[in-house]
Amino acid sequence: MGKYVLKRIGLAFLTTFIILSLTFILVKLLPFQRPIGGDQQQIAYFDKQFHLGYVFRFEQEAPQYGTLLYKSPTEKGRAYYYYQVPVMEQYTNWLKNIVLHWDWGYSKTFQPNVAASVIIMSRIGYSMRLNIISAVLSVPLGILLGIWAALKKNTVTDHTISTLVMICVSIPSFVLISFVLRIFSYGLGWLPSTWPPDTAATSVKVQGYIIPVFCLCFNPICGYCRTVRAELCEVMESDYLLLARTKGLTRRQAIVRHALKNAMVPIFPSILAEFIFIMGGSMILESLYGIPGIGRLFVLSLNYKDYDILFVDMAIFTTINLLAGVVLDLSYGFIDPRIRMGAKK
Amino acid sequence: MKKTIAILLSLIMVLGMVVACAKPATEAPKTEEPKAAEAPKAEEPKKEEAPKATEEPKATEEPLAPWDGAYMDRDDYKAYVKNDLDVVMAAIEDQLEDDTYAAVKAAREDAEKAIDGAATLAEVRAAYEAGFKAIAECIPLADGLYTYKKESNAERTNVLGILENYAVTKGITGITLFENGGYTMYNPRVTLGTENYIVGYGFGVLAEGAITADLEYETNEAWKRYYHICETSDPGTLNYYNDQGSQVGDLFSYQGASFYTNFMNETKDGYDWVPELAKEKPVAVNDEDGDGMATTWRWEIRTGAADGLKYTTGSEMESRQAFNNREVALEDYLTPFKMLLTQANSLYRGSEQANTKSGAIKGAKEYYQGTADGPNDELWANVGLKAYEENGKNYFEVTFVEEQTQFYCMYYISSSLYMPLPQEFVDLVTVKNIFGYNTDKTETPVDNALSLGAYYLERYDQDQQIVYKKNPNYVYADTKYAIEGIHDKIFPAAQEDTSAVLNEFLAGHFDASGIPQEYLNEYRNDPRTRTRTGTSNFKLNVNATNAETWEYLFGEEGVVTQTPKDSYWELKPCMANHHFIQALSYSIDRLSFAVSRGRVPSVDYLASNYMSDPENGLSYAVTEAHKKAIANLIEDTDGYGYSLELARDYFRMALTELEADGAYAPGTKENPTEIKFEIAWMYPTDEEDYHNEIKNFIETAFNDESVCGGVYKLAIEFWVGNTWSDVYYNKLMPGQYDLGFGAISGNSLDPIGFVSVLSSDQKISNSFTLNWGTDTNDPEAYPIVYKNMRWSFDALYNAVNAQGIVAKGQNKAAVAFNYTKMVKNEDGSYTGSMEMVPALPALTKITPTAVVCCNYERYKLGDGQYDEKEVEFTVENKDGGVVVVTFTVPAELAADYATGSGTSEKPSGLTGFDFYYDQDLDGSQSTGLYYSVQEDYFEVPAAQ
Repeated sequence: MGKYVLKRIGLAFLTTFIILSLTFILVKLLPFQRPIGGDQQQIAYFDKQFHLGYVFRFEQEAPQYGTLLYKSPTEKGRAYYYYQVPVMEQYTNWLKNIVLHWDWGYSKTFQPNVAASVIIMSRIGYSMRLNIISAVLSVPLGILLGIWAALKKNTVTDHTISTLVMICVSIPSFVLISFVLRIFSYGLGWLPSTWPPDTAATSVKVQGYIIPVFCLCFNPICGYCRTVRAELCEVMESDYLLLARTKGLTRRQAIVRHALKNAMVPIFPSILAEFIFIMGGSMILESLYGIPGIGRLFVLSLNYKDYDILFVDMAIFTTINLLAGVVLDLSYGFIDPRIRMGAKK
Repeated sequence: MKKTIAILLSLIMVLGMVVACAKPATEAPKTEEPKAAEAPKAEEPKKEEAPKATEEPKATEEPLAPWDGAYMDRDDYKAYVKNDLDVVMAAIEDQLEDDTYAAVKAAREDAEKAIDGAATLAEVRAAYEAGFKAIAECIPLADGLYTYKKESNAERTNVLGILENYAVTKGITGITLFENGGYTMYNPRVTLGTENYIVGYGFGVLAEGAITADLEYETNEAWKRYYHICETSDPGTLNYYNDQGSQVGDLFSYQGASFYTNFMNETKDGYDWVPELAKEKPVAVNDEDGDGMATTWRWEIRTGAADGLKYTTGSEMESRQAFNNREVALEDYLTPFKMLLTQANSLYRGSEQANTKSGAIKGAKEYYQGTADGPNDELWANVGLKAYEENGKNYFEVTFVEEQTQFYCMYYISSSLYMPLPQEFVDLVTVKNIFGYNTDKTETPVDNALSLGAYYLERYDQDQQIVYKKNPNYVYADTKYAIEGIHDKIFPAAQEDTSAVLNEFLAGHFDASGIPQEYLNEYRNDPRTRTRTGTSNFKLNVNATNAETWEYLFGEEGVVTQTPKDSYWELKPCMANHHFIQALSYSIDRLSFAVSRGRVPSVDYLASNYMSDPENGLSYAVTEAHKKAIANLIEDTDGYGYSLELARDYFRMALTELEADGAYAPGTKENPTEIKFEIAWMYPTDEEDYHNEIKNFIETAFNDESVCGGVYKLAIEFWVGNTWSDVYYNKLMPGQYDLGFGAISGNSLDPIGFVSVLSSDQKISNSFTLNWGTDTNDPEAYPIVYKNMRWSFDALYNAVNAQGIVAKGQNKAAVAFNYTKMVKNEDGSYTGSMEMVPALPALTKITPTAVVCCNYERYKLGDGQYDEKEVEFTVENKDGGVVVVTFTVPAELAADYATGSGTSEKPSGLTGFDFYYDQDLDGSQSTGLYYSVQEDYFEVPAAQ
């Protein structure tokens, strides 16, 4: 088992490495973008790129470095020639810095000169708090709603819950937030319309969680509800539950002791899956609600073409998701003893 | 129940009738156009239509031959052609002396007679061309050395009007759609400095305004009276010295101070330039000729010791607190210049300052180039910047490369980039981190900033808020900037949702907001709404090149870009027809287009904030010169250049000419000839917002059967970029477009300098030419007349901005060079020659001083070392001031350089020459000038 776990974790890191390497190379292969303007603007821009290490600057032509990006006039008919640093050279330097110095690079445009890892660490707390609160709240609510629907199977209550769930599960969080903002922030004025700054009063900061957490919970709650209802209904019609009842257990005892326990087998792994889903959803939601988390940072680093931040952010997301996948796989074994991970036939 | 069935049946019947009525209309559409706009019959004059020019009586008594024009009858065509001549006359008559005017008038009358007497389309066109040429030839071409840089603002505005008129008439300004002004809503708690927007200044919200009530939404008591606004993204730094955009500069200005600033005038209808860190306006040091221009200027400045000027910081770090209330020292004024101009600091704005041509500071470029490894005191001594004490007063002195007026000296030096800084503070926070975060974010911009401006940085919460507090140490703290602070919320939702800021404003969270298009009708007339003008005019730039011009500019050997044959742009012949471009321009209803988007409708090239008199805040848009320049563009239109009638007439005129030229052949009503062209948009949102409406304007105007009987059909496609620069690099710059959307903003205080981008000469436009098709250095293309002389656009532009060396109306370089390739002599030496031809022989004396042979083989292909050696030469003076320099390269030197002094692995003999000379141009001496020749070859010695 231990060997299997180690193997899975190793594979997760290998996958992360491959994803990051591919991302790095593909991003760096994007065409080099020059600024608009005459020589004054061009020289300023290319000197800057040179000092950042993105381009070479030679006093003579160097066709071995590929396409000439820009030739700046200097004195006496001489010129500076600018070429892009080869992608693979950038890649090996990048890898070397991570492996040898745990140096993930520096922000170039988003927060110039600040270490990319520092930027991530200063923001990860916002995202994690939001995601964990959403995940924690959605589980009991979703399960309770599912149980209620299952117990009231084929009644008005069940139909109402199921219909609402079917409708609500189709609404993405970033659409939902527009409605919620319009009603509770701009309409009733009960809740903040944007993420309160760190300087705000604690009560305001707490209120600031309500809208994003609600929007992030909304889909998982519906998901849990559907799964729990389906599983519980199936279990409740099973022979062993009938046997339990014939043995003299009350309906409540039969449900709590036997039905719920078995119905939960596929629910627990799905909690992790929903957590991954929440993280993905928070990427857009953070931008819309102005939450200074790593999801929004991912979008910003793409917009700013600040690739060192992008790569660290990508590494965090990929690692969390892949490790969550490993935990998900392992959790099956713990929840259902019939499943054995990595066991040889 | 019966009643319900009866109602249902009635409804079905009504529906049936509606469908029945609608059906034939779908099959055979009938236009609702007024009769006047219907297709004119070929031989009948269209009395209903009102041609632009007054119809003249026919001069001929003979019956005319049958008219061969396709879509316009003879009299109308002639009237429009004569109107074209009237436009020329209107543009030039003010500038003509009596004799010339008489000759021009006579030529105009002759032309009119010839046009009236012409029978066929070809004859009319020939009569027009001949008349146009005759009018132009009456006016002498400018020839000589001219400079109008020192003329008054009023005179320079007149010249700008002349240049604008040319640009508008030739279509090189593009088709303007709107100005980016619009509406802003202000919270009633904000008292504006003025209710009427001041062009180039604004409403004076911060400097002259006030806040009279608390913002309830704000939970921090101390900030309730701060001015609450938002940024759509976090700039990440406030380091203006190293930033390329405008956001950081705008934020920096809250805490920055400069030598001079602007405040609203007493009558609240303009603004004044007032000293801020300075104590007086600049005084010329070397205005020897008393013309008000000088290269060196000085002015008294404020310091801590003499005037109590002190720094402020919001940082609580002990090391930073030492600078709070620290007095400004005299030498602090030089610190920002040194920091910026030291290349090793790699500051974007420093590089820009060092390489600028406008307002360049003497020695700045040389200092920048010599400081790749760090500051250099020896070079700094040659930089034209000084701060010194004299007779107990403190002065700052600047020496520019070129002479400046007092105003432009103030303008160029009044940047908050030049706010004094103590060198110790720069050393403490480091150049890399100044006004930003440090590497591990233990220091924020609050810790790494100092303020001398109206506000200082109070908080910087990453991606949340930037907060400024009123600076008690500010020079005008007691009389200006009554608002206690600024709360700038980082509000990314505004990027995703155009109404997000307005929603926040309406909820009482922000103090100001623009109005998105969908809310215009609701809030346009709201009492909280104010109207403002814009800073840029957005246009459809035109590619009016013909095949020959396109090949010259963008072909395989193009002078602008080089395009492979298989990527040549498919030129549309209609785009090169001037009347077609006029038709497009008249077809766009700018008023409805702009107003529905909360923009300002405009037909102008320059936005309203461009100043005719920058010192007094007079907008060029309100001057007579401008009104005259665009008169023809708006005459007989809705005031914004829209007229369906004119659009259709010019379209008919264009089709008539294009068919006669064989460019197009008419189709049939069922199968019309399709004229396809493309509009390139900057962003996908531009395409979504604008394309369909523009397409609709054009297609509605021209595809109607009444216009040309339905035998032509315009089809407009689109191309869209991902980023704003795509349209420039992929479309406009390489000539790969028909119409391209975009705008450029220039120095709003120097509009006559900004028309440089209209030139087809890349050196003048600084590679910013967006509209192609006209050679702006051809004085014959269209008469630009100033002071009774005919000029090319480029020639007059240079004369009014610097010095125009003009030969036969064209802009010229002072000296042209004709190089004759070297020949090898029997003794192994080489002989070559260079002919130096002055543009103005009577005014120019050329004295060659040296010929230098350059070892390019070694520099470019060898070990990279640069060496050069002077060689012997002889000078022969010829007629017309021509100087021929004959030089000889000794055999030994040629053999050495041919191999790159032995450092080149595969020597090719690459070499070059610098020809040094002194020039006397009308008494103005220039020494050390040179002209370089490259890519000539020595023969590589056989032994190699």
